[in-house]
Amino acid sequence: MNKSILKAVVILLLLSGLLAIPRYVESPYALHMMILLFLSVMMGQSWNILGGYAGQHSVGHAAYFGVGAYTTMMLMHTKQIAPWIGVWAGMALVIVVALAIGSICFRLRGPYFVLASIAVAEILRLSAINLTTLTNGAEGILATELPAFKIGGTIVTDFLTKVPFYYIGLFLVVLTIGITYLVQHSKLGYFFQAIREDQDAAHSLGISISFYKNIALVISAVLTSLAGSFYGIYVGFVDPPTVLGLDVSVQIMLICIIGGMGTLWGPVLGSLVLVPLSEALRSNMITEGLVKIGLVNADSKIGLFLKENLSHAHVLLYGILVVVVILFMPDGLMGFIKQMATRRKQEAV
Amino acid sequence: MAILEIKNVSKFFGGLAANSDVSFSVEEGTIMGLIGPNGAGKTTLFNCITGYYPPSKGEIFFDGKRMNGLDPDKVCMLGMVRTWQKVRPLAKLSVVDNVMVGALARTSSLKVARELAMEQIKVVRMEHRADFIAGGLPIGERKKLEVARALATQPKLLLLDEVMGGLNPAESEEIIQLILDIKKRGLTQMVIEHDMKAIMRISDRIVVLTSGEKLMEGSPQEVVSNPDVISAYLGEAHA
Repeated sequence: MNKSILKAVVILLLLSGLLAIPRYVESPYALHMMILLFLSVMMGQSWNILGGYAGQHSVGHAAYFGVGAYTTMMLMHTKQIAPWIGVWAGMALVIVVALAIGSICFRLRGPYFVLASIAVAEILRLSAINLTTLTNGAEGILATELPAFKIGGTIVTDFLTKVPFYYIGLFLVVLTIGITYLVQHSKLGYFFQAIREDQDAAHSLGISISFYKNIALVISAVLTSLAGSFYGIYVGFVDPPTVLGLDVSVQIMLICIIGGMGTLWGPVLGSLVLVPLSEALRSNMITEGLVKIGLVNADSKIGLFLKENLSHAHVLLYGILVVVVILFMPDGLMGFIKQMATRRKQEAV
Repeated sequence: MAILEIKNVSKFFGGLAANSDVSFSVEEGTIMGLIGPNGAGKTTLFNCITGYYPPSKGEIFFDGKRMNGLDPDKVCMLGMVRTWQKVRPLAKLSVVDNVMVGALARTSSLKVARELAMEQIKVVRMEHRADFIAGGLPIGERKKLEVARALATQPKLLLLDEVMGGLNPAESEEIIQLILDIKKRGLTQMVIEHDMKAIMRISDRIVVLTSGEKLMEGSPQEVVSNPDVISAYLGEAHA
């Protein structure tokens, strides 16, 4: 009992800290990093419900991310519909798409399901490229000017700084984690995990496999679409490779796999590793750091090579990281931490 | 009254008849033993009854309802549940969570499900294991977990597929007592078993299958004294 009170206190402190950050931090770059972190947690947590809890490893979540992002952006760009209304249209459309995909892909198990999920996302990506009248094709949609958000005539925010995005992101993260918590602590969570552990056994215990898989998919897809819409609005630009590409699907999965699938805090940990890592690689921070601590001479061959190439190597380093995690922490960081904790407990006994 | 009626059930895989024209019925409150040499079609029959395979021919009635073509989850909701010869624990979940999954077939409340689950865990005498992760249990306890989880769905008919397979004599004895306890509570059971001594002790009636067909049906005494059964099991020379 004490333990759960302690947990609640820690979470509340953390949350109030996060709420206070924009008051004290003015650097847009720092806020930008935080927003990227929020986005990453949302993406990983959404995938977690289907992939982590229900064990259906979709490698096509870009489909839902992209549909959410595109719907919101298209409505804003062509019909001047405010994004906080467009988001709902995106989620509604994603439910339809998810149920269509589910009815096809859930007939398949294991690797066949994975392949089918990739195929569906690719179909959507190619459609977005080729349906130029609707999606503006490969050029993408640019819509950076957001209407001011008003409640009853008073302007709440006009989206000129990063602060409103920060709070929207934080709200969405709390929402996604909250929904995952509710799923985990309900009949749904038990049924999802039963399906993950042994589909036939679950079936014999009265669980309708296709019904509950589709429920998991719809929850997961709607949250992913929400993340997609948020991404579109925040960045102000969507095109097929950045929101519908295969690497988006892979990135969504990695957040969860590295952090720990089927755990509430796994996607948070995964994001805390991946977001700073990819940012450090992109901005060449690692090379600079190595130079600063004197390991590498900036003008030497190695220094020049790293400066030239390391920022392009972030996919390679991602790959290496995944291999390391899968080899040494098959249950992700969360699993690794739990294992360490039980080991320490046993040693204490 | 017969709770389960199997009428002329056949199951073909391509040209192979795994079950052909099998008929019998199970009376409420009794234990029906199902025996036969390897490959006789015992597990296939279980799969047909519980909805994993649709029977190619024939009909299955449970509690007066025709079961052909119903999915396994519907079969369970109607009150018929099976365990697996090759145990299928939900490996990463704890023992109590495993049994709760079964209990959740009848309730949506986790609290109620937990209570129901603990009751069944007591029935199989595994209270001390409730918080253990199912994947780490030894085989004897996994078998008992299967039974507890099945019982938690509150069935009218329990189908046990070789629950004593791979167990040592002491563990088998424990399972025999468990099956007899369950019978005392009025639950009908159908049991596939290889251990002849065990099946003789627990069954009210026995059906013998060989190469997919019903060889005979009768009381345990009738079955052991039947020369056809002996030859099916031990070969002609012993009959």
